[in-house]
Amino acid sequence: MLETISESPVPVRVISEAIGDYLGRLGPVWIEGELSEVTVRPGAQMVFMKLRDTSADMSISIMCHKSVLSAVEPLPQNARVVMHSKVSWYAKNGSLSFNVKEIRQVGIGELLARLEALKTQLASEGLFDDDRKKQLPFLPKSIGLICGRNSDAEKDVVANATRRWPSVNFEIREVAVQGSAAVVEVSAALRELDANPDVDVIVITRGGGSFEDLLPFSDESLLRLVADCQTPIVSAIGHEKDSPLLDLVADWRASTPTDAGKRVVPDMQEELQKISQLRERSFRHLHNRIEFERAKIAAYLDRPVLKAPHTMVTSRFDLLQNLRDKAARSMGHLIALGREDIAQLSTSIRTLSPQATLDRGYSVVQKKDGAVVRSASEITAGEELRVRLAQGEANVTAN
Amino acid sequence: MAESKKLSYEEARDQLAEIVSKLEGGQATLEESLALWEKGEALAKVCQDWLDGAKAKLDAIRPTE
Repeated sequence: MLETISESPVPVRVISEAIGDYLGRLGPVWIEGELSEVTVRPGAQMVFMKLRDTSADMSISIMCHKSVLSAVEPLPQNARVVMHSKVSWYAKNGSLSFNVKEIRQVGIGELLARLEALKTQLASEGLFDDDRKKQLPFLPKSIGLICGRNSDAEKDVVANATRRWPSVNFEIREVAVQGSAAVVEVSAALRELDANPDVDVIVITRGGGSFEDLLPFSDESLLRLVADCQTPIVSAIGHEKDSPLLDLVADWRASTPTDAGKRVVPDMQEELQKISQLRERSFRHLHNRIEFERAKIAAYLDRPVLKAPHTMVTSRFDLLQNLRDKAARSMGHLIALGREDIAQLSTSIRTLSPQATLDRGYSVVQKKDGAVVRSASEITAGEELRVRLAQGEANVTAN
Repeated sequence: MAESKKLSYEEARDQLAEIVSKLEGGQATLEESLALWEKGEALAKVCQDWLDGAKAKLDAIRPTE
């Protein structure tokens, strides 16, 4: 730290030397970035370029001897490179420059290896876990759409969603979807849309592209931002076979922009149909239930005890009649029996009664005590006796 | 018969069923049968009122085809 106070300022050269000293301590460094604005003046020994950061919106201007550049030519546009450079401080006019000693292109293999390493790292942190995945809203108020400038991807998402749900509305953010600006612009749009309360789901989409083109969608800072978003994210990058790491972090992976358009909104017709079917089924159920119960009640009312309640009286009446008839009959029967008995008795009395014998002229002699005299020896002279004749009786005395 | 008004549809229906089986059982005295029959009629009416009410509500929304 250099202590200075306004009363005794330090001259320029002291500051300049201090800066030169700090930078000197940095020493040569290996820097990674994206090469752009390469300017080669004819005949010039030195070549000037810009090296952009792959995630942040920063860049540094660098220079190198033309042989350093030609050693690694041809380099594609926006090539991803690694450079060995010393930071030099030109005290005379206080300018800083990077004098690059060696440039190496970062090959596909290297990029793939880095991507795999990042993938395992993020996986171990649980950023790809299923339980982190948020539910997509059934019907979003509005859909955030981050896509390339008037790209087919944008058209596909909007067309398909609108066909299913005509009144859908979008918050569209057209940004760079490849190169070093992509990560920066996509992230900015993502932060803005994530903060917007009306945006219930955000679709990040772009058409197909080369491995490098899709690289921004495997960028660590973008992936961590996606993971932290509160709003559900749909990743719809490239074609079916393309699968940048964004697919793993997002809450839902659409195979294509069209697929995303269909997934984020329900199909109006389908929903209306479902609703009317449900109404129909509930009406049908209730209708049948009432008919069923009505039939049941009718069945009860049809039962004789209710349909013809008079039976409770008439059946008893019949029973009564029946009983009375029975009584009458049995009385009649008894009477008849009685008569018969009497008849028999009277005949038997008649047969047993001595009257007939008396009629034939016989008579019955009885002692005073009523005993019947069967032999003369039983009679003593002067005894009073009764003689019963066919007609009447007489009192006699034996002589 | 007043209390039969508060009955739910199912209660009225079940009581009606009971009355029918009692009457059909033939054990009830004349007096009981008369009373049972009257109650049965009242309950049947309660059930029908419930059903007619429900049907009316349904028809109000969806006149049956």
